[in-house]
Amino acid sequence: MKISALRLFNIKRFAGRGVAIEGIGDGVNVLCAANEFGKSTSFEALHALFFQPYSGTAGPVRNLRPYSGGNPLVEADIAHGDQRFRITKQYYRGGFARVTDLASGRLVAQADEAENFINALIKGGPAGPAGLLWVRQGVTGIEKRSNAEEDGEKQVRASLLESVQGEVEAITGGRRMAEIMRAVAGELDKVVTKRGPKAGGRYATAIEARDRLAAEEARLAADVAALREALDKRASAQKRLAELDGADERRERQEAVAAAQANFETAQAQGERLKTAEAELKLARERRDVAERALDAFRTALQKTTDLAAPLHEAERRRDEAIDRRGEAAETIAKAQAAADLADSQEQEARELLARLDAALRAREATERLAESRQRLNEAEAKRGALEDAEAQLALVSIPPDAVEALQALEIELSGLRAVAEAARPSVVVAYVGDARGEVTMDGTPLAEGRERSYDGQAQLIVPGIGVISLRSNRAQSGDSRLEKAEERQRTLLASMGVATLAEARARQAQAQQIDARIRELRGSLSSLAPAGLAKLREEVAAQALAGAEIVEPEGDAAALRAALTAAERERSEARLALREAGPARGRAEDAVVAAETALATLRAEQAHLEAQLGPADQRGARELALSEELADRSRQAEETQVRAAELRAGAVDLVSAEAALKRARSVQSSAEQQIVALREIVAGLNAEIRARSDEAVEESWRETADALSAAKLRVAAFEKEIATLQRLSAALDEARTEARELYLKPVMAELGPLLSLLFNDVSVTFDERTLLPQTISRNGQEEEVERLSGGMREQLSVLTRLAFARLLARDGRPAPVILDDALVYSDDERIEKMFDALHRQSRDQQIIVFSCRQRAFQKLGGNILAMVDWEP
Amino acid sequence: MFRFIHSSDLHLGKRFGNFDGDLPGRLREARHGIIGRLAQHAREQGADTILLAGDTFDTETPAPDIRRQALAAMRDHAPVRWVILPGNHDSLQAAQLWSTLKAEAPENVVLAVEPAAIQLAAGVALLPAPCTTRRPGRDMSEWMDGAATAEGTLRVGLAHGAIRSFSEEGAASDVIAPDRAACAGLDYLALGDWHGPLTVDARTRYSGTPEPDRFKHGRPGEALLVNLAGRSALPEVSALPTASFDWQTLDMHLLEGDDPARAMEALLPPPARRRQTLLKLVATGHSRLSSRTALTEAVARAVPDFALLELDENGLVTACEAGDLDLIDRAGALREAAAALLAEAEDDGRSAGEREIARAALARLFSYAQAVAS
Repeated sequence: MKISALRLFNIKRFAGRGVAIEGIGDGVNVLCAANEFGKSTSFEALHALFFQPYSGTAGPVRNLRPYSGGNPLVEADIAHGDQRFRITKQYYRGGFARVTDLASGRLVAQADEAENFINALIKGGPAGPAGLLWVRQGVTGIEKRSNAEEDGEKQVRASLLESVQGEVEAITGGRRMAEIMRAVAGELDKVVTKRGPKAGGRYATAIEARDRLAAEEARLAADVAALREALDKRASAQKRLAELDGADERRERQEAVAAAQANFETAQAQGERLKTAEAELKLARERRDVAERALDAFRTALQKTTDLAAPLHEAERRRDEAIDRRGEAAETIAKAQAAADLADSQEQEARELLARLDAALRAREATERLAESRQRLNEAEAKRGALEDAEAQLALVSIPPDAVEALQALEIELSGLRAVAEAARPSVVVAYVGDARGEVTMDGTPLAEGRERSYDGQAQLIVPGIGVISLRSNRAQSGDSRLEKAEERQRTLLASMGVATLAEARARQAQAQQIDARIRELRGSLSSLAPAGLAKLREEVAAQALAGAEIVEPEGDAAALRAALTAAERERSEARLALREAGPARGRAEDAVVAAETALATLRAEQAHLEAQLGPADQRGARELALSEELADRSRQAEETQVRAAELRAGAVDLVSAEAALKRARSVQSSAEQQIVALREIVAGLNAEIRARSDEAVEESWRETADALSAAKLRVAAFEKEIATLQRLSAALDEARTEARELYLKPVMAELGPLLSLLFNDVSVTFDERTLLPQTISRNGQEEEVERLSGGMREQLSVLTRLAFARLLARDGRPAPVILDDALVYSDDERIEKMFDALHRQSRDQQIIVFSCRQRAFQKLGGNILAMVDWEP
Repeated sequence: MFRFIHSSDLHLGKRFGNFDGDLPGRLREARHGIIGRLAQHAREQGADTILLAGDTFDTETPAPDIRRQALAAMRDHAPVRWVILPGNHDSLQAAQLWSTLKAEAPENVVLAVEPAAIQLAAGVALLPAPCTTRRPGRDMSEWMDGAATAEGTLRVGLAHGAIRSFSEEGAASDVIAPDRAACAGLDYLALGDWHGPLTVDARTRYSGTPEPDRFKHGRPGEALLVNLAGRSALPEVSALPTASFDWQTLDMHLLEGDDPARAMEALLPPPARRRQTLLKLVATGHSRLSSRTALTEAVARAVPDFALLELDENGLVTACEAGDLDLIDRAGALREAAAALLAEAEDDGRSAGEREIARAALARLFSYAQAVAS
């Protein structure tokens, strides 16, 4: 079926008027118009024409009616096979449906027959294949829509696929497959999860039971092993105990101890005897040695006495000599000492005489010096008085030198200034006529003939006989300030110098110079008299007066005295020298005496010691004999004792080994006893352990647990097999169903594939088996849910899917137009271009009608451009 | 003439931890009950002595209640006399057990703990060979050869252990000479250790356990009544039933066409007996998927009848044909999955484990498909 024209009247905004879209051709037709221009209205009208019965007032029909009411009318020209028809429907009042053969103008059908005709055209009403080819604005077919609509479209797709591929139920196993899979999954769910055995499930319980039993079994096995070990230990302990505790064993051990004890005691007694003999031998030997040493000492002393006689005599002689020499030395020293003492006193005497003479001379000299100093002091004090007077005078007359100069300069300046002042003053000159000379006075002073007199301010001229003439000068006196200031300075200067005039000042200056000269002269003579000052001079005089208090008269001759002193000094030093020479001689003599006495004392002590040893000389021979006899006697005794000890030593038993043997025998006995005790303890301990474990019946528990464990293992194995079986079955079912689904969707995939590749590179689509719509797409190996794709991509996919189904329809001999009402709202221009490539490619045997408001984007896309024109039915 | 009962391997106190529920308790109680049943046989048969050839107790350290209750029961059956020989499970190494038994044993219980002749009756000597340890490592019965008894005295040997290397405990180096009876001039050698009854020769026998404790032997427990007429006469031996539980292993060989449920029902013991029966059903042969599912269901139905019922179908080969797969689905994904599993199950290139899993998965798919279809 193809649509060639669409006309509508009194629909929605076209109240009371109509529009027509004529010349819809094969391939792509584009109606581009702005919004609110009537595109969607046309679309809805077309939809209603095909899918809403004329007699109905369903929602879509109501929507067609303008606000002002009226009866909507829709008309379309279609081509079906070779024939062309016009289908017209009017709703509401006077509603009708009519199909006319365009070629002949013959009425083909009307009313319900017309509806049937339309249904046949679109095959199955809104659920027919044509229905799905409408893509409305904002409806991409993948978004949520009303269930009825969803189901309707799904049925369309399903019926189409079934018609080309066969029953979906038959292919995918359908309900039975689903139920079996659910049963399998349910069984699996009971025992396992994705992560392993399901907690609390039968499988997990079986595994837990197995593990618990394995642990229990191991524990019990260990218990049983421990029990058996305890039994074995006790058996061997009891066996050993029986051996140790046997009567024979005991007797043997006791006999061994007794024998060793006897042996040890014998050895001990022998040892004691030997020890005694050896002590005796030691004593005898010592006694012999003592006798031997006594005899030796006696003989040595005897010899020494004889040897000592000569040295003793010699020592006595030397001592006597030394004593004599010491006496001589003492005498010599006494003499020298006397001489020295004499020389000392003589020298002392000469020295004292000389000293007294020196003192007398020095006193006389000082007295003379004092007289001179006093004279000088008197002179100096006189000079000093004169000087002070002169200085006082000078102070009176002294004038600063530049003051005179300044005064002189001031005088000169003053003269100048006075001259100037005088010149500027008013003045009076009288030239007397006749002998009236000097009769006129000015301020009391007569004015001389021809003498100019000046005045200040005002003056009175008294002219006798005439009157008093007042002269008044009315000028300011400011010009005289310099003069006044100079005069003031001059007055001050003169007052400071205490003079009245410059001449007086100069006279005073000369007077001062004279006084000054005198002062200098006085100062010169004062400093020559007292160079260190008057005070110093006074101190010198006072000091000299004190020193020269006593005046001694000098005695004798100084030179003679000096010579006597020198002689006395020489004598004294000689005497001392002699004394010093004699001193050491006496020391040596004394040392010699001490040495000689010491040597003699030593020899005498030795002599006395020997005498004491030897005893009286007459008994010495007898004593020596006695001593030698005693030695011989003791030597014999020692030899006898030695022989006895040697005999004993040869016959001695080894005490150490006898003791060791005894110890060993005893330790054997005691260790056996200890072992018996220990074994009894062990047996007792084991008894308790064994009794406890026996009462617990560990072995029974162990065997029971081992049996239970093997059963549990079998159970786990059975579960494992069950799970493997179920998983295998589940996998097989999944695989089969996936393959079946692919097989079922193969036709539409075959159509969609080339279209997809026009828009996208390397993209594949999987379909949802339930909705028969794209579910996921995979790009670059990544799976994405269609619902998560961008709006643009979703609508493109939707359009392509519809095109694919349209191709499928066309292939099935049922071509249907694809109508896209603003179906590409999210897509960019580039994609739209590509979409149009796809549309054009499709449109070779397919009618596609595109409504769009995107005029600019669609302008250059080609296709048959449609326009809306006014139309009246 | 001397008449006695020969039994062994009572394993009193065995706990059967490998079973669930109250079965272990029942089995344990059944072992205790043997004492009464043996005594009853003795009284009925006019035998005054019961020889227990070892392993009377399951462990070296039986719980006090086991020991005390056993001795009390034995005492209760006086004047029947019990002769207890230490076996490998309760060897003399368990000194605690034997010293306690010695202290507690009543007069009618004789502990054969020394390799020395015991006079059972006038002119009857018992030559016991007690196990000294768990694994003595030598033939304990050797001493019997040299044991002198008065002329004309009946010589009865009593020993515990293997005569070949088929011990209950696996390989054993300490085997009893099979011709011990002849060597030692014994009139009868009563042996224990082997849990099934076994006649070694005319004078040498294993009585087997009176109450089986495993599936191995496949015979109900029994004790031997031995009648010794005289020195030269061969012993007259007859078996006495003693077991309260049957341990059965049933082989069920199936052919492809067989109805497994019917085949099983034909094999099972009568319903009244089932409560006292532990049954292991070993299915072998070939079966279709559907038959196999039916078998599993039939076994599940029968389980509550029994003390224990187990199905071992490892030996059952599942034959699968297109018709079986059709029962799952004729075409489509389910059929594809089933075909893939079948191919894997029959793929010789895969390991046996993988094939087994694939086979099980296919069977499971089959049962699910049936359940969904119904």
